[in-house]
Amino acid sequence: MREGSRTEASPPEQELGACAVERRRLLAEGASESEPEGQAVREANCRRARKGALAAGNESLQASASVSEGEGVQAATRREAAMPWESARRPLGTFFRDHVREARESLAFVAGSAGTTLLVWLLMGIALGLPAGLYILQANLAGVADDWRGSAGISVYFQPGVAAAVPQALSERLRGEAGVAGVRLITSDEALAEFRGYGDIAGAVELLGGNPLPATLRVSFAAPVSAGAAETLSKRLRQEEGVDDVVLEQTWLERVASLSALVERLGWVVALVLGVGAVLVTSSSVRVALESRLDELRVLKLVGGTDPFMRRAFLYLGCLYGLGGAIFAAMIVSLTLVTVEQPLAQLLSTYGGDLELRGFDTTFVLVLLGVGALLGVIGSVVACRQRLRNLDILA
Amino acid sequence: MGSIEFEHVSRRFDNGAEGLHNVSVSFPEGSMTFITGHSGAGKSTFLKLLLAIDAPTRGRILVGGVDVARLPRRRLPLYRQQLGAVFQNHLLLARRSVFENVALPLRVVGIRDRDIARRVRAALSSVDLLDKVNLPPRYLSVGEQQRVGIARAVVNRPRVLLADEPTGNVDSNLSRSIMRLFRQFHQTGTTVLVATHDRAMIEDFGGRVVELDHGALIRDNGASQGQSHA
Repeated sequence: MREGSRTEASPPEQELGACAVERRRLLAEGASESEPEGQAVREANCRRARKGALAAGNESLQASASVSEGEGVQAATRREAAMPWESARRPLGTFFRDHVREARESLAFVAGSAGTTLLVWLLMGIALGLPAGLYILQANLAGVADDWRGSAGISVYFQPGVAAAVPQALSERLRGEAGVAGVRLITSDEALAEFRGYGDIAGAVELLGGNPLPATLRVSFAAPVSAGAAETLSKRLRQEEGVDDVVLEQTWLERVASLSALVERLGWVVALVLGVGAVLVTSSSVRVALESRLDELRVLKLVGGTDPFMRRAFLYLGCLYGLGGAIFAAMIVSLTLVTVEQPLAQLLSTYGGDLELRGFDTTFVLVLLGVGALLGVIGSVVACRQRLRNLDILA
Repeated sequence: MGSIEFEHVSRRFDNGAEGLHNVSVSFPEGSMTFITGHSGAGKSTFLKLLLAIDAPTRGRILVGGVDVARLPRRRLPLYRQQLGAVFQNHLLLARRSVFENVALPLRVVGIRDRDIARRVRAALSSVDLLDKVNLPPRYLSVGEQQRVGIARAVVNRPRVLLADEPTGNVDSNLSRSIMRLFRQFHQTGTTVLVATHDRAMIEDFGGRVVELDHGALIRDNGASQGQSHA
């Protein structure tokens, strides 16, 4: 088959083959590539062969091809002597078969050592859950800042006991000012009614014997205003009759934004530290599994198992540890969110906002699973690398 | 695979002891040779060096013209895939069945499942263990375990078969049976090297004998006795 295809080769291909064979022959005989004389001889031989082949007919080409084939066999033999053990191409089917088997065996190992596996998952879950939780916190803080920046405004607190007409009048005046989107008046009675809604501390007001809460104006701007303009307005409002205090909501938002940035940085640091921790946890656990299968690894190495072949089962194991840890982390974060949901909703309602927790979505869970699996695999690689390299077959 | 040549091979261990000392010997392709000597003579060191489990401190070991001690780490598995090795302690996997134990070298090289089944059965048939195919090794006698080890060593049709005290734990009848198996594999063109201290058995079977003592080659009755089938 091969000979046939060689015979049918086009003249230039045969020439190139003959030149290559001649070059290999000289190399095998010890002629140096850098030798000017040797190179000149080789090139002259190749030129002669090329010229001869072009001039010759089809018959001589075939003869040349058979000579070339013979020399090719010799060259192949020389190549075999240089590295006689070429690996056969592994069929794709067996490649997948091996992967399926290793994955199944790793699953069986995980199931067979439930106690250890749960411990590893819990450790991984904590290691992944903390940075994941910080991410959710940061995402929500950033979300609060984003949502409320556009409706940033000013809260005007009146002195307790001020006549109801005073806040009403100021409210009317502010509604007429340019750039003001809306003014919401919360009378002291409305504030008291709202306060009584907070079950735990509502009784405290009764002890005071009256209504200590002031009337409040919440002024919102139609468009984001500069800090300077907002400050000028707040200064002017402080001069108004009956006004006790003026609070720029922008300041609060800036604090939220700063806190968000802080949490983000903290999250990265924690993620880095705990990521290394997660790798070490997986690495130690995989190392234990590896030690328990040393006999098998020794035999595999003896019969010519490559490191990737021997490592495969442990990569799946690390991956399973990581995935399990990520699921635990998602559960931890989810439980935390459920726990803080009610008080957070109450807090947000005092600022007129609705609770809308962000970050914990399908993408978050998928990324968490991916990161968990990746850290697990890295841990496995770390464990296998050193152990397999130093594995003594006949220990 | 070609011939095996030891050229002035020495192996000195960390404690200063010399496992092999300036050993030069060659084994033609397809030959069968007994490597003998008392305990500690260097027989196991000899086979370990050939398996590239250990490396010589001096000299070269050429297999098919390739210095195996200089093989890059990533090529070692490929080299070992060409060898079959039998050990006194069998090195069988207790948790796997006889079939899985024997199939291991074939899985390593990526043979298809149906071919694995065929070749494992053929190998087990050659050692008369077809009826034990699904049992774990712990249910087998020592002799049967040894034969499973031999089946595993030959299932991938190695060019070189190495055996380190393959009859160490078995009675004389079983020893002869095992040696007859080696002789059969040798007759198919496999190079067979058997390390043993059982002189009676060597005398029974005859052939080339290389004797080591304190790591040195003290006797080689010649390549003419090597029964080459190359």
